[in-house]
Amino acid sequence: MMAVGGILVVAEQAGGELREATREVVSAAAALGDSLGGPVTVAVIGQDVDSLGLAANLEGVDEVLLVSTSSSEFESDTWRQVCGAMIAGRRPAVVLAPHSVNAVAWAPAIAAEYGFGFTSDVVSFRADEDHLVAVREPFAGKVRVDVGFPEQATSILLLRSGIWPAAKAPGSALVSAFDVTVDASRVRTRHEGFEEVPPGGPDLAKAPFILSIGRGIEDKDNVQLFADLADKFGAVLGSSRPLVDAGWLESSRQVGQSGAVVKPQVYLAFGISGSTEHLAGMRQSGLIIAVNTDARAPIFNVAHFGVVADAMQVAEELNDLL
Amino acid sequence: MPRDPRYDVLFEPVRIGPKTLRNRFYATSQCSGFGSDRPAMNAYHRAMKAEGGYAIVHTEWTAIHPEADEWPATTGRIWDDDDVRNWTLMCAKVHEHGALAGIQLGFNGKHTFNLEGRLCARGVTQIPSDTFWAHSCYEMTRQEIAELQEFYVVAARRAEQAGFDVVQVMSSHNAGIAQQFLMPLHNKRSDEYGGSIENRARFLREVTEKVRAAVGERCAVSIRLCIDTLHGSAEGIRVEEDAIPVVQMLDDLVDLWDFQVGGRTMAEWGDDAGASRFFKEGHELQYVAKVRPYTQKPIANVGRFVHPDEMIKAIESGVVDLIGNARPGIADPFLPTKIAEGRTDDTRECIGCNICVSRYEQHASIVCTQNATIGEEYRRGWHPEKFSKARNADNDVLIVGAGPAGMECARILGERGLRRIHLVDAQPEMGGQLNWVTKLPGLGEWAWVVDYRKVQLGKLKNVEFIPKTQLGVPEIREYGAEIVIIANGADWVASGLGNANDEPIPGTQGAPGHVLTPEQIMVEGKEVPGRRVLIYDTEGYFMGPSLAEKLARDGKQVTFVTSYPEVGPYMFYTLEGVRMNRLLHSLGVELVTHHVVSAIEPGTVTGERIYAEDKPVSWAADAVVLCTMRASRAGLYRELEADRAALQAEGVQALYRIGDCVVPRVVAECVFDGHRLAREIDEADPAVPLPFIRERRVLGKLDQDYDAVVGERGIDHKVSSLVQRV
Amino acid sequence: MRIVVCVKQVGVLGDEVEFSDDGRSIDPEFLDFALNEWDWYATEEALRLREARGGEVVVATVGEERADSALRRCLAMGADRAVRIWHGGLDAQDPISIAHALAQIVEEEGPDLALCGVQASDTLDAATGAALAGLLGWPVVTVVTGLTCDPTSGTVAIRRELEGGLIEVVTASTPAVLTIQTGINEPRYATLRAIKQAEQKPLAVREIDQIEQAGAVIKTMYIPERSEHAEMLGGSPPEVARLIADIVKQRVG
Repeated sequence: MMAVGGILVVAEQAGGELREATREVVSAAAALGDSLGGPVTVAVIGQDVDSLGLAANLEGVDEVLLVSTSSSEFESDTWRQVCGAMIAGRRPAVVLAPHSVNAVAWAPAIAAEYGFGFTSDVVSFRADEDHLVAVREPFAGKVRVDVGFPEQATSILLLRSGIWPAAKAPGSALVSAFDVTVDASRVRTRHEGFEEVPPGGPDLAKAPFILSIGRGIEDKDNVQLFADLADKFGAVLGSSRPLVDAGWLESSRQVGQSGAVVKPQVYLAFGISGSTEHLAGMRQSGLIIAVNTDARAPIFNVAHFGVVADAMQVAEELNDLL
Repeated sequence: MPRDPRYDVLFEPVRIGPKTLRNRFYATSQCSGFGSDRPAMNAYHRAMKAEGGYAIVHTEWTAIHPEADEWPATTGRIWDDDDVRNWTLMCAKVHEHGALAGIQLGFNGKHTFNLEGRLCARGVTQIPSDTFWAHSCYEMTRQEIAELQEFYVVAARRAEQAGFDVVQVMSSHNAGIAQQFLMPLHNKRSDEYGGSIENRARFLREVTEKVRAAVGERCAVSIRLCIDTLHGSAEGIRVEEDAIPVVQMLDDLVDLWDFQVGGRTMAEWGDDAGASRFFKEGHELQYVAKVRPYTQKPIANVGRFVHPDEMIKAIESGVVDLIGNARPGIADPFLPTKIAEGRTDDTRECIGCNICVSRYEQHASIVCTQNATIGEEYRRGWHPEKFSKARNADNDVLIVGAGPAGMECARILGERGLRRIHLVDAQPEMGGQLNWVTKLPGLGEWAWVVDYRKVQLGKLKNVEFIPKTQLGVPEIREYGAEIVIIANGADWVASGLGNANDEPIPGTQGAPGHVLTPEQIMVEGKEVPGRRVLIYDTEGYFMGPSLAEKLARDGKQVTFVTSYPEVGPYMFYTLEGVRMNRLLHSLGVELVTHHVVSAIEPGTVTGERIYAEDKPVSWAADAVVLCTMRASRAGLYRELEADRAALQAEGVQALYRIGDCVVPRVVAECVFDGHRLAREIDEADPAVPLPFIRERRVLGKLDQDYDAVVGERGIDHKVSSLVQRV
Repeated sequence: MRIVVCVKQVGVLGDEVEFSDDGRSIDPEFLDFALNEWDWYATEEALRLREARGGEVVVATVGEERADSALRRCLAMGADRAVRIWHGGLDAQDPISIAHALAQIVEEEGPDLALCGVQASDTLDAATGAALAGLLGWPVVTVVTGLTCDPTSGTVAIRRELEGGLIEVVTASTPAVLTIQTGINEPRYATLRAIKQAEQKPLAVREIDQIEQAGAVIKTMYIPERSEHAEMLGGSPPEVARLIADIVKQRVG
């Protein structure tokens, strides 16, 4: 099936609200629309689509499609049918969605089934003379690849979160319903409900947010402040090796080559200079912010943001702020 | 991996008089216990540091004259031309690897045993030594002082003959007579060699002048100077009043300064070779910083520098020019090379346990917890970084127990190319007993023993660590390994059995809640009931005192009872004894020596004093912690061993055991045990250690005969070809 | 029941890297190879299902000969058979292409379940499993952290982990594709005996019938230009704290 044009964003919701990740995709779509041309359409799928549709009516969006289905929650088979129908009907050049747990359950399936172009975990894109080129980072970001897509087919791209800004300002899109008849006999999964997650001990390897402390905090008595700060951030408290050696923290909190190797989304390092041993354990973190009094500390070579300041002072301020 | 450019400064050459150091890594004088009567053991040990990248390697303290005869302590000697012949081997081997060789000339006067030659030592003032009992010296006349200085000159000339590049005059560690002149504690002279600092420094100045005049054009001359005996001791050496004037007066005479600090007695040289329990990296810099402004000469200083980040901090601060290493170079002679090559994750960090020192203090030769090849470079031909492919590499190995012995064995077998090695442990992490011992106060850095091996094992593709798996006898037989090695450790006993109690102590039976072992407290987290705890220690090393510190800090009222005359007697060998005792006193621990426990009842412990057994003594205690002995978990090996046929039926061709499960011992010996088995796994009978080369006089045997022995073993040790005719 | 576990031998990159002559992939000389971490868990989960319900576990991979060692690992854990499929013209870095090859095997085998890892640690697409489901016309449930299977009723009760740690409960009917998340179980270790025995288990090699169009094509692979230094934030501690809080909030949401 040949693509015609335009960009279709498939929106996601959580708890009835438009997900932040979708807002980021909308910004990306608007930017892509500027270079590739064609309208930007956002499709919201679910039961209470009117309020979602309102939320999706953002600056840069030309059209909002409301797709009513029997379930408010994601269903892979339903979304495969719905999105397949939308793409068949609209023939967008590009379909955008977040690289999310749910998106990877419908997008690759229809891409394979219908022969669309497809790639995921995209960190940037550009139009090279009307040809879309997406950029992704295999091997944990040690390398990058430029990928191209089959000619004339729709291409589906799943975008990594936390890169594009989240669209906030309201737009003036045309809102309409998109009717899809879902074949219930081909819906073979069913959402049953959600579960409470019980709290557990420090699991550094799985923690999405780690707040780590090093010798720069200077005194064992200061550990508590950082433990409190970690709680406020919803982070797991981690440590460099010297504090564990000194008995200030248990070894289960040690981040490093001989401790835990971690890849959280966010890594906040206070008073850690960044020994090779420690860096080996955390340098793949998504966002690294380091606070250290030594401007030449090696941690600043792997951090994305750095602050030359006293760890305690900054921590106290953050504690008051949160 | 390219090295961090911040470390480039460590590899800058440094000029010292007529010589040049290729980088800033300075292996200081360091006692080895091999002495100059085992020239090959010493030479190969020293040369390993040269091969590992050090710019200079020193001898240990080397006695210049029979009047300073250290036997049974083994130090260097340079008394005669035969000693020179033996020293040429060290110089040749060190030079072979591009480093300089340095010798430390010492004369310790009254602080010398003098048991071999039975001479009397000359001294500064006739005050008995605090190191020995009933032992003194004769007070030197001016003539005798001049003679002594001539001994240094003769020794310096001999040193040059042997090939040494740097001649160091020793005035440190309370030992060298130069320091005895400097310390009012030892120097009550009223002539021009006593009194003011100028006078007290006269000997050192004159002897250095004379040495310099004799060899200074071709050799660099240095002084190892104690710059502070700590504790503000006016009768010792204080940085401002004494060290600074000495440096000012003598600066022209040296090509480099080698500074150290230490306590006012020989027993307190642990303030210099500070155990990690009490001292952090770079702990002497604060003193050196005060002296720095008074000299432009290069300064070397020790302080257990292990991490390149600390080293560059010290260099960039300007306080030191040369990174002095003794113990870190023992743990890893290749420290400089690994830093140079950006392989800091391959470095074996010195943990500051001072096992090395403790062997020397017992008049034996040094060993190292981290580095099992120390002392074995020559006599067993072990190189810390090189491993031969095992002739039986086409075998799979099961190691049961991932403690120090098991980890080391797995590592060396991995390096030697055994096909597949499974290191299995019931715990989620490797480390064995180190995983809880390192939680005791001050012992956190001992975890580096585990860290190093964890990283190295992770790099070996033929080694797999399998945690959380308890293997019984049938599982071990059926595991599929041709070689099975049992390394399942030992446990502290709950019965009080030990070298002072040959029967279980009454009251310990039935596991009562008020009688505890170290594991019950540290691993199981059992509550120590009540407020008053009695620790009974007949083991004599660190467990009892460490638990005393921990429980005192936890708020308990601790009584420490030991059968020994000292609290933690082995800790005096590791130079922790003085500080540990001071610490326990300050924490309010009641220290009771010379006592044996004979019965334990709820609330009361009874015992008796050694030499006064007729008068029983009792203590009130809510809980008792027994540190009497560890018992090997011998059953597993015994049961496997008892049915060889069953093993063979499953394809197991060899069964060995290593570590604490054989005999409970210090970690260094467990690491050694695992290492040795792996090095000799392809010998005819790996369970029996191969004979090592014993350096000694054998009537009718020549160097060539030694070489023949090592030649058979494929070790490159052609001693005879390296010794130069003197 | 029969379960096919689709596994991958991934490349592990060290500190140095060079690219192949066409500049579109990494020179294999600079890679170590290992079984994909997620696939340990998927294989273990399949073995547990077999232990509960009986049947057969087949491990399948798309790869060249060196991928056999990854298959042998799974056989050592206890899988019954292995199948490897390959074609020299295959674009191994495209998940849709891989899914086509896997579909060929799965259709042959006709299992009740096809298990994949959530993603491969080298390519990080997280797409192969769902693409396979699309080609087979089967349902797919992604990021599974718990499952029980009732083959007689043909349903699977599933827990999956959404963003933020939220757990969703889903039912699916078989045959289905499930992508398995790490931590769902504790993968068993293979003894040396099992590793030796795995050498004797059946490992069949197939050739791909037809190379299909890729979903995307790598034009070029390169080392990203990264500034070797952090962007430094200035200001007083309260100002800096504000900046940090904002940056974190934007990232985490």
